[in-house]
Amino acid sequence: MSGSTSETRAVSGHAEGRVFDIGYERYDGPREGRHRARMAVFKDGVRIALGLGRGPRAKVLPWGFIALLVGIGFIMALVVGAVLRLGGPDAAAGLPNHSDFYGISSIFFFVFAAVVAPELLCPDRRDGVINLYLVRPLNGSDYIVARWLAFLSVSLCVAWLPQFVLMIGLVMGNPDPAGYLQTHWLDIPRILTAGAAIAAYTTTLAMLVAGFTNRRAYAAVFLVGLFVITTPFTTALASEIGGAAGQWISMFNLTNIPVHVNDLIFGEVSGVTSGAPAREFPAWVLVGWYFAWVVVPGLVLWTRYRRLTP
Amino acid sequence: MEALVEAKNLAKHYKDVIALNGVSFGIFDGITGVLGENGAGKSTAIKIFLGLLEPTSGSAIVLGEDASKSISVRSKLGYMPEHDCLPSAVSAAEFLTHMAEVSGLPPARARTRAADTLRHAGLFEERYRAIGGYSTGMKQRVKLAQALVHDPKMVFLDEPTAGLDPAGREEMLDLVRKTHREFGISILFSSHLMADVERTCDRIIVLQGGELVQSGEVSDFTGETESVFIEVDANQEQLVAELQRRGVVVTSDGRGLNIQGDDKSVYDHVRDSLVASGAPLRRMAPNRRALAELFTSSDEGNGPGAAQ
Repeated sequence: MSGSTSETRAVSGHAEGRVFDIGYERYDGPREGRHRARMAVFKDGVRIALGLGRGPRAKVLPWGFIALLVGIGFIMALVVGAVLRLGGPDAAAGLPNHSDFYGISSIFFFVFAAVVAPELLCPDRRDGVINLYLVRPLNGSDYIVARWLAFLSVSLCVAWLPQFVLMIGLVMGNPDPAGYLQTHWLDIPRILTAGAAIAAYTTTLAMLVAGFTNRRAYAAVFLVGLFVITTPFTTALASEIGGAAGQWISMFNLTNIPVHVNDLIFGEVSGVTSGAPAREFPAWVLVGWYFAWVVVPGLVLWTRYRRLTP
Repeated sequence: MEALVEAKNLAKHYKDVIALNGVSFGIFDGITGVLGENGAGKSTAIKIFLGLLEPTSGSAIVLGEDASKSISVRSKLGYMPEHDCLPSAVSAAEFLTHMAEVSGLPPARARTRAADTLRHAGLFEERYRAIGGYSTGMKQRVKLAQALVHDPKMVFLDEPTAGLDPAGREEMLDLVRKTHREFGISILFSSHLMADVERTCDRIIVLQGGELVQSGEVSDFTGETESVFIEVDANQEQLVAELQRRGVVVTSDGRGLNIQGDDKSVYDHVRDSLVASGAPLRRMAPNRRALAELFTSSDEGNGPGAAQ
């Protein structure tokens, strides 16, 4: 009865019975190799980031932050809609809109990344599960790229969803929804590009920090500290020193780096960057600085995992 | 018989430390034990076979492919590490399904395989519990199950009985034997526990300080030696004197007498000496070597399978 499913049929009169050996069987089905392995790591990363298949505690933080960010978009839409109805277009002109959203919500977005991204890397190394990945048909590069893409996908959804809630709110709240959409259709590619910029930036930095510690808490605290502390520190120092040096110090305000790109995409200066000396730099410097902060940490992370062996 | 794994002059150096020093051996179908103390080179050899480490020199051919150049060969290999490697927050069923997918199986087949493998490992009823709540023995079973979930041709087990109590250890050894006997999966069983290897493996490879000390069939090492062991209740001195008078070589190990002899005439001498000395016989049996003697033999350089 071993090795393959055995089936015995006993016929006695009209009665019929079947006995199945449901034990271990040899597998002769398809083996999809490295592609399936990468897909599995990616899918698992998305599930971890959203707490799917885990207990309620694992869902609280990611879904709490998603609700908070969507809530910000929803409240902005409500306020703009109400002012439009009550005060008309002139009264609503100065209110925050799509170009301001990432400036307003970026700190929550960074904290979301700081808290959730370490979940994708730290437990695998702390529990030793990484050893099991690396003996399967994938290597360290496959693993880290799949995990990075998994968190980037979640981050993209988290970045885009509130903007689309805001857009729906603005369209519905406008007395002329079709006219609003016709006038503001370019906001859609701008939202997609700016959302991708902030998602790629936070994903890479958060994953880089998570890649160097086995403790989720250490990574989360370090990242929150990095994002929260650099803002007042660089702002104060930049205004104290002033001039070109102050401008460069302002460039090290980590929360502002993707917001400068957001400003360039929307062609407007958002509230959080309006006072930053760094915004005086030419666009290519701001974009180049942004890419440097995505590409270099990404390469460091990749190099670390490429060389990883159990 | 064709070797599943073949090491040819395999060497691995870490700066000044020599982990493996040009060893050559083959691993064939069956259960092969790799014996050696800590630092003998067992884990290094396994990592090279799995393609995780590049050898400094020599080659490791696994299932016909160069392990350091082919990632795809790993889909036909399983590995059970010695150390912790299990997530605590997920259930065994979910973890095994995921590991089957990572090994290249389509999702629907992965779920079926996970259930089948957990049943084989004796964890079917517990499969939806979080692994963090499992006992040490159950965790070892999950570790074995994840190594088997994609139905590999060959499995590398690194100290599979580590941390288990005697009952758990016996169950694990049974599971290992069953895995090969019933499903034909070849196993490389790395251990420093000679009793486990002796009871489980068909062949053994002994490594010491990165060198191959011995290799061969377990039965070659543990087979009957050309001596007879007897225990008597009294008159042992008289018995020894009678045996020596008949020209028989006798040694005492404290528990009884080892009588050297390479033919059946030794039993006649024992019978006559027992009668002449009046020593009451308690036990008489052909002597069997214990695997523990291997290391003694290898030190003396005259073991049955001493490496060339």
